[in-house]
Amino acid sequence: MGKKVLVVDDDPDVRLFSVTVLEEHGYTPLEATDGEQGLAIVKSEQPDLVILDVLMPKESGVRLFRHIKTDPKLQKIPVIILSGITQKSFLRSQKALTEFGGAAVPEPEAYLEKPVEPEELATAIRNLLH
Amino acid sequence: MNIKKLLFVTKFDDLSFDALQSLLVLRKASLNHVVFVNVIEREKVSMHRGLGYQKIEEIRLRETANIRFIDWAETLFEQGMEVGVYIVVGNMVRQVFDAARKEEADLIVVGRSRKRFIDQLYSGSDVTEVLRQASIPVLVYKPMPDKIEVLDRPFERILLATDWSPASLRAEAYLRPLNGIVEQVHVVHVAQEKDLKGDNSMTVQKVRKAAREKLEEICDRFAGVGIDARAHVYVGDPIKEIERAAKDCQATLIVLGSSAKQEWVERFLGSVPQNIAEKSDYPTLIVPPPKPS
Repeated sequence: MGKKVLVVDDDPDVRLFSVTVLEEHGYTPLEATDGEQGLAIVKSEQPDLVILDVLMPKESGVRLFRHIKTDPKLQKIPVIILSGITQKSFLRSQKALTEFGGAAVPEPEAYLEKPVEPEELATAIRNLLH
Repeated sequence: MNIKKLLFVTKFDDLSFDALQSLLVLRKASLNHVVFVNVIEREKVSMHRGLGYQKIEEIRLRETANIRFIDWAETLFEQGMEVGVYIVVGNMVRQVFDAARKEEADLIVVGRSRKRFIDQLYSGSDVTEVLRQASIPVLVYKPMPDKIEVLDRPFERILLATDWSPASLRAEAYLRPLNGIVEQVHVVHVAQEKDLKGDNSMTVQKVRKAAREKLEEICDRFAGVGIDARAHVYVGDPIKEIERAAKDCQATLIVLGSSAKQEWVERFLGSVPQNIAEKSDYPTLIVPPPKPS
């Protein structure tokens, strides 16, 4: 069985795209439709990698990323942000949350702005899992 | 009650980002999460003879909304806010309540643009249903009279209409924790003309005085939490007089409590809160009855 990769995105088209790329490259995809569900799966399945959207219902990728990176049991799981939100805004949001009294978190291991080409996503995954 | 999570329901022409920005003052009252909701009406993408289901149109409408929300969300994320989004096809009222339930929102904000009367007849019905069915407070946002732009500070000068009912008390209780945001509350009671019938002027004055004293008690409770409050008694039709009072006080927002009347009564007769929310020129916040246990 290939390494487990969790895709957290509320857009079914994007989930289908990511899952197809993952399966074609021999990984085992897991899926979540929002940040809340994503966190539950991260905790229960301990995936090898998370591909994370930012703007979602219930809990955004901004908060889920912080949950992962501030939990000693999860923080080593690499995260690829795959979003329409720019990297600059994402990093500013993390800075703002740290200034409001949150813990400092590292930058995500990779950041891809939607839309991406299949090979672009595959390369980012490969770079983090091999 | 703290307002932590706000559901911002928009069709973009009725409620834009400047309206939301004016509500960010609620961060002082613990607001930290905004959820955008855009409902694509089913008839815009539904089956048409010879065309089938208009998937391409649905994608276009979804992505148009998504592009706007991404832009708005970036601004909010950068301020340390949490942001969520729902872009859904279906019945507006059902989808709004569905999102409110999933998100456990504390406040629903809907817009009502300044439209021609005939347009209001149609667009008003969704707002009416949201007001009728809501179990959490609903803010009906509107451009201010004689202005195209929205207010900078909608919670600055509030007109609280009261009849001392449990619904009115709930509206009052909802506002008190907003000290630091609300600068002034004008507490207004509209006496009905039939209440003022007496055989001499003293009898009539007694009614006014009694109302005034009860209003002063409310003002004292606001003063106790640092909110300046003024009492006013008006006489006549509640809907017209509340509107008149809002104008006199230069109110930025009208706040009313709504009661749990039997649905058929409201459907046929309407209620003062609903009528104000739908017809008034002023933004209106309706605090609903508590959920049945």
